[in-house]
Amino acid sequence: MSVIDISALSGGLKELPPLSLYIHFPWCVRKCPYCDFNSHEAKNGFDEMGYVAALLADLESSLPQIWGRPVTTIFMGGGTPSLFSAAAMDALLCGIRARVRLHPDAEITMEANPGTFESDKFKGYRAAGINRLSIGVQSFDPAFLQGLGRIHNGDEARRAVDIALTHFDNVNLDLMYALPGQTPEQALSDIDTALGYGITHLSAYHLTIEPNTLFARYTPANLPDDERSADMQEAIEARLAAAGFEHYETSAFARAGYQCRHNRNYWTFGDYVGIGAGAHGKISSHAGVLREARYKQPAAYLKAVAAGKPVQEAHKVGRQDLPFEFMLNALRLTGGFEEELFAARTGLPLVLIARELKQAGQDGLLERTGGLIRPSLKGQRFLNDLLTLFLNDGD
Amino acid sequence: MKHIRNFSIIAHIDHGKSTLADRFIQFCGGLDLREMSAQVLDSMDIEKERGITIKAQTAALHYKARDGEVYNLNLIDTPGHVDFSYEVSRSLSACEGALLVVDASQGVEAQTVANCYTAIDLGVEVVPVLNKIDLPAAEPERVCQEIEDIIGIEAIDAVRASAKSGIGIEDILETLIAKIPPPVGDVDAPLKALIIDSWFDNYVGVVMLVRVKDGVIKPKDKIKFMATGAEHLCEQVGVFTPKALQRSELRAGEVGFIIAGIKDIKSAKVGDTITLMKTPAAEALPGFKEVQSQVFAGLYPVESHDYDNLRDALEKLQLNDASLKYEPEVSQALGFGFRCGFLGLLHLEIVQERLEREFDMDLITTAPTVVYELLMKDGEVIHVENPSKLPDPAKVEEIREPIITAHILLPQEYVGAVMTLCNGKRGVQRNMQYLGRQVMLTYDMPMNEVVMDFFDKLKSTSRGYASLDYDFKEYQASDLVKLDILVNSEKVDALSLIVHRQSAQFRGRAVAAKMRELIPRQMFDIAVQAAIGAHIIARETIKALRKNVLAKCYGGDITRKKKLLEKQKAGKRRMKQVGNVEIPQEAFLAILQVGDK
Repeated sequence: MSVIDISALSGGLKELPPLSLYIHFPWCVRKCPYCDFNSHEAKNGFDEMGYVAALLADLESSLPQIWGRPVTTIFMGGGTPSLFSAAAMDALLCGIRARVRLHPDAEITMEANPGTFESDKFKGYRAAGINRLSIGVQSFDPAFLQGLGRIHNGDEARRAVDIALTHFDNVNLDLMYALPGQTPEQALSDIDTALGYGITHLSAYHLTIEPNTLFARYTPANLPDDERSADMQEAIEARLAAAGFEHYETSAFARAGYQCRHNRNYWTFGDYVGIGAGAHGKISSHAGVLREARYKQPAAYLKAVAAGKPVQEAHKVGRQDLPFEFMLNALRLTGGFEEELFAARTGLPLVLIARELKQAGQDGLLERTGGLIRPSLKGQRFLNDLLTLFLNDGD
Repeated sequence: MKHIRNFSIIAHIDHGKSTLADRFIQFCGGLDLREMSAQVLDSMDIEKERGITIKAQTAALHYKARDGEVYNLNLIDTPGHVDFSYEVSRSLSACEGALLVVDASQGVEAQTVANCYTAIDLGVEVVPVLNKIDLPAAEPERVCQEIEDIIGIEAIDAVRASAKSGIGIEDILETLIAKIPPPVGDVDAPLKALIIDSWFDNYVGVVMLVRVKDGVIKPKDKIKFMATGAEHLCEQVGVFTPKALQRSELRAGEVGFIIAGIKDIKSAKVGDTITLMKTPAAEALPGFKEVQSQVFAGLYPVESHDYDNLRDALEKLQLNDASLKYEPEVSQALGFGFRCGFLGLLHLEIVQERLEREFDMDLITTAPTVVYELLMKDGEVIHVENPSKLPDPAKVEEIREPIITAHILLPQEYVGAVMTLCNGKRGVQRNMQYLGRQVMLTYDMPMNEVVMDFFDKLKSTSRGYASLDYDFKEYQASDLVKLDILVNSEKVDALSLIVHRQSAQFRGRAVAAKMRELIPRQMFDIAVQAAIGAHIIARETIKALRKNVLAKCYGGDITRKKKLLEKQKAGKRRMKQVGNVEIPQEAFLAILQVGDK
């Protein structure tokens, strides 16, 4: 991977981290009651080519910040990107290749939701250059799918996976557990169904009640309690381990060689440009680490792009916040990170957080061996407690 | 002197004392309308909010009576709560008369009765006034009868008034002049001035509110405090109208203030007598006593680095409140803090609230306790005011607890429930007296049961109708034990308490159960135990949390994730660490939230 030595300029970062590209697609058929992502029901349809043009204009306005840097991964998330046609995706990827140096080996992931699957369309996506699919299955059980407000049923979920595997060899399934009324057996049954397919990656999320969602306002009464959901998690981890999936991040499991490179770049505190409505970016330079966010409402975003200013909010991450932000990401990796990575990504010496590291070690939350820093099993379970140690209190 | 009337107002909380005082001031032109904030004499925020008077205040008023003469009326506003009975007695002994203000719809309450008896004992003329006469629920005849039945003074011609609407104000003033005798005193005798109250002013130092009994005091006089022996130079004298007004002298019979460049309020004690060094009085005025703290509690800063701020705040409060006692204390559980002594529970609450409000302190207060008297095996008698400091029981011959006599005045229908409550608190009934529709119950009760939660329970049992007055009776030997609370085998000293052996088992179980509710689940199992000595009498387990982790975190909204964790951390910081367990503040008051069996 090519890197550029900018130490002479930054005085901090010796080299710039790998660069990813995130593209947000803000529309869904219907908003799910648990979802707190930037998604909007496409009641009156939307102009897909208009949005593609806006994305490319948005990317162009970011080019000065990433000048010359190769893009190693692309992730098209949503919303529901698979509401877009293969032609639109092809136009988008062509436009991107024309504007940035896309690594020949780049991982290009697209999120897709069952209920939007047609075989031809997915063949087209593959032809456009997309080489990894992430399918929002959530569950194969129709009762739970209905409870989650999903537009698909169990059969459609299975059909979607079949179609995906017909055209793609690198496929992730998103599953959720600790669903209202779910038993550990039912959670495992979903995992088993998923493992019955030749998928390479699986994400198993504990259903979280996020603020400002319908579920936060009308919380389902029969959510499994802490004991039960923890039992589910342990059973799921054991089942996936037995099936040869490595548990490499809090909720992510992969066959050897199939960890999601795009997400790994987030978790190793890499850089990413985020284009599209509400997309977030993190870009390092000689001036430090910059975070920026695009306008969230699709209409506002399109207007802002037309005016040449898609970024709504941008701020430099302060020196005092960098260690926490690094840890917030890096400690999600069960295998941890190499000690040098901290200085390489933050430009700060590791000794700055020696006290916190020591405390975390004493609390049994962190292990340090052979130049690696990693959360212990306890640290993985109580990651929030581990992370709060690195929060800057201003004292 | 015959145109002077010194009087105070006795009234129950909310019966309209402060409003009435305001009307007097207004009527006599003491303040312009624009200067009248509601309830002038209650100057602290807490006083206004709670409708109680904590510090005595005065107003010297000029009233042109119907007989054409101008009278000099000195109103001495007294505190109205059981905790401040000594201050009340000093205020009353500075007067020749007292207005007994009774709410015409609610009738007489225990506190009023107690203060009235104090007044009568001191030879003060009590003049009854029915207030709130314009309320639809007013029953003047019944209430007059009640005053006669309960207090035993003539009340048939009690003035009917409404301070709020301004009805009968002049009638009260006329009655006051007719019934209350003018002060007697000898202007030529050696100076005797009674300190009614004192407080600290940032500009002039200690201000003393005094009643001159004999003699004259002028600026430049060298004065002496007869109880403390302190000597000072009088700098200013004057009266409050209620604005401070300097005068060239204060004479026998008058009420006013003295400023003598005193820095420390402890040398100007309420009840002390001021005399002149040149011509000292032979003996002090009677009735002075050192106030004793009745209730103790530990006050700890939530954040240990606030310790110095807490000390500064206590120091400042003490400038105006000589009855507040404090000394540094170290608790294993709570770190550095102060053991504070209070006159009573209300006093504790007021201090706590002022610290939080005026000084912005974040406090943990331990459950209040009383002072125990211990007879040791070697014959020595010691006092213990902190349960965790109780010596090894093997060395103790007997533990004595303070017993109070409680007078509870309540409507008949609640007698049964209140008696059950008193019996449950180890009370021994001494008397029961039917007074019209009300009943006066007299109980001897262990004070430690009273400071726990008795007052709140009494109020809820009687739907707020019962009123309580109590005074210390004696120390009595009792079968008391120390109950310790252990969290993961570590004794939490701040939670130790002294209880009667009979209720120890129940209390222990109840506190442990309450603690289980109040301590949040953590990364490991937590055992909460209650123990008497080495004997564990109750155990509860708080099961470990299984996990605490965010399911998703990608490149998106890092700021929100950070806020979420900051919130978790802030919650933890408000807890105290005992061993490896984080205990929230509420848990240190768990004992107060425990019911009786």
